Amino acid sequence: MLEINNLQYKIGTFSLGPLSLSFKRGEYVALTGPSGCGKSLLLELICGMRRPANGEIIIDGKEIKGRKTKDLPVSMLFQDYALFPNMTVLKNISFPLEVCSRKRDVIHESVVKIAKEFSIEGLLNRYPNSLSGGEKQRVALARAIIRDPLILLLDEPLSALDSDLREEAIEVLIKIKSRDITIIHVTHDRNEIVRLADREVSLRGSSSHNSEI
Amino acid sequence: MKSSNYSKTHLVFTLLGSLVLLFLIAPVVGMFLSVKAPFLFDTLKDPEVKSSMIFTLCISALTTLILAIPSIPLAYILARKRFPGKGIIEALIDIPVVIPHSAAGIAILGVISRDSFIGTQLASFGLNLVGTSFAIGAAMAFVSLPFLINAARDGFAATPERLEDAARTLGADNFKVFTKISLPLARRSIITGMVMMFARGMSEFGAVVIVAYYPMITPVMIFDRFNSYGLSYARPIAVIFTAVTLLIFVLLRIYQKRDARNK
Repeated sequence: MLEINNLQYKIGTFSLGPLSLSFKRGEYVALTGPSGCGKSLLLELICGMRRPANGEIIIDGKEIKGRKTKDLPVSMLFQDYALFPNMTVLKNISFPLEVCSRKRDVIHESVVKIAKEFSIEGLLNRYPNSLSGGEKQRVALARAIIRDPLILLLDEPLSALDSDLREEAIEVLIKIKSRDITIIHVTHDRNEIVRLADREVSLRGSSSHNSEI
Repeated sequence: MKSSNYSKTHLVFTLLGSLVLLFLIAPVVGMFLSVKAPFLFDTLKDPEVKSSMIFTLCISALTTLILAIPSIPLAYILARKRFPGKGIIEALIDIPVVIPHSAAGIAILGVISRDSFIGTQLASFGLNLVGTSFAIGAAMAFVSLPFLINAARDGFAATPERLEDAARTLGADNFKVFTKISLPLARRSIITGMVMMFARGMSEFGAVVIVAYYPMITPVMIFDRFNSYGLSYARPIAVIFTAVTLLIFVLLRIYQKRDARNK
């Protein structure tokens, strides 16, 4: 499903890889490692925000080199959720469908369905600055998966939440796990790894270590 | 003890600040108070004054709207991209702010006069830009564009790049990222820049008077009335025109406050 072969990236004095990893369809992988080892950087490479110096990233049999970020079947949930402050929750969630020119009734139907699934129907007309951390997270997740990506990248999605909200968020992630999406979840939290992940990949800058949960 | 020193410092700062404010406000207030109401109403009824003001406002607004189309993308590039010579381009944009405006007028005249390459080419089609609305718009734009470009650039720079990255990962191409994310988020700075450009353009005298004495814009008319008839004839027009400018700034402030509250 997702193959990473001899991936290398250099930014200033920091160097990532050469790294080779493989992810199966529908697999939930916890990506761990010390701070600054390149976990977020790896996610940015997978979603096409950065271009690798060497190596290849293959998604569903196709190399991503030369393809635009917008054309990749990858969605990413940023640590700060990156909700668009100029749009309502409704507009935020429908954004991925609107930019690829889906029909209005299809967009409406998808938004209603996903809002129900994530229990955010009551938030649709609100703006992100009026939402709590947990609400923002659910909206960002709904937005990330509404266009049915093959891969969902989660960059420490629960780090900004308190323990109660974290429990709620884990339940939401378990729900998403039941879809056929490959999820790569950057985390430092053992509880999240044990509760959510099928496998842990530990990153150490130029190497990685695999372990089953 | 510490608190007392602090308040004394503040008192001195306040007194010094008041002097500066007095320096800025007193001449304007003095000008307003020195005009008698009947004289002001007569001036308002003067068709020459009325048409000059409408012409000045329209030409400045039109210039701002037309020049905003290429200036906003330029501001975006300056805010987002690094490239060789960027510093030079930014310095070039600020040139109109630092050179004398009469010199700016001479520079524009050098481009559009009949002796220039463009002027010669246009003359072969029977066109002459000197003394036209186009020349006035060009002079207004030349001196006021930095206000728009710099404000828009600062607005784009203040928009988190992360949001643009997020939009791309959600399937948006660069044009949609610009129109749906960057532009709306920098909107307030862009509108402020456009209003500043409009206000600066309509107040321009030095550059405009070099390229076109006629059709007469209001700042040139104030100068013309002062030269031909004296202060008492120039003052009412100056008062009315200043009031219009102040009104624009008051409206801008109200918009900014309302927008900030909604944000």
